[in-house]
Amino acid sequence: MARVPFRRNRSAGYDVVLEAGEAAVLTRLCEELTTLLSGDDEPSDPSDPSDPSDPVLERLFPRAYLDPTEVEAEADWQRLVHDDLVDGRRRALATVEGTLAAAEVRRGRFELTLSEEQAQAWLAVLNDARLALGTRLEVTEDLDLSGLDPDDPDTAPYAVYWWLGVLEESLIDVLSG
Amino acid sequence: MTLDAPTVVDPDVDETVETAKPWVVIVWNDPVNLMSYVVFVFQKLFGYSKEKATKLMLDVHHKGKAAVSSGNREKAETDVSRLHAHGLWATMERD
Repeated sequence: MARVPFRRNRSAGYDVVLEAGEAAVLTRLCEELTTLLSGDDEPSDPSDPSDPSDPVLERLFPRAYLDPTEVEAEADWQRLVHDDLVDGRRRALATVEGTLAAAEVRRGRFELTLSEEQAQAWLAVLNDARLALGTRLEVTEDLDLSGLDPDDPDTAPYAVYWWLGVLEESLIDVLSG
Repeated sequence: MTLDAPTVVDPDVDETVETAKPWVVIVWNDPVNLMSYVVFVFQKLFGYSKEKATKLMLDVHHKGKAAVSSGNREKAETDVSRLHAHGLWATMERD
């Protein structure tokens, strides 16, 4: 990706330019995350170690108490915050999907402008998508992503994972600038 | 955003935390989160300087974990939930 996908504009917002294929992948990732979250209306029971939780949901919604004997405190905390955490992720996904759907398509490219708040939602979704994909792919810090062929079905998910990282770095760069 | 910087001692895992702050919030290393993202989140959530946020991120990266905040149980629970909302792997424990 030679382009910089995110740029700060002069009216305190952020301009985004994505190839149509990139926008399509992002939309699909948003749909997958939304589906994943819709299956998580009920918090898993922390007192039941046999609860067959999805590793991605466990990564997005980890325990608060490291001590496994803090069963009651963990359950109380989950009751208190879990729904809000799910709602926050759903709202961010809705923001990204909404802004992508409203994008102007010029010469096959998706162009859109984000407010500060919308840009923060984009960052949250890009990070969640990387967390979900990275967990599914069981990536390690030593993973070498150089020289991946995006057309090879075996390595395509790793190419998407790498691309999400490039996109996220670009957004962090403009948000920090 | 409320900043608690004036009452926070240097939140290194190895260092003593005030006894009035019985809970510490630990962020654990993970292979996915970008280093730049972790620094960004520490600055956004805790109002830490870039230098302090970077030092904490490097502790997480190299030592596997770092204590990023401390306080009473309610404050620790709030900080953990904010970190989880941002995709960081955080837990709390009694100091």
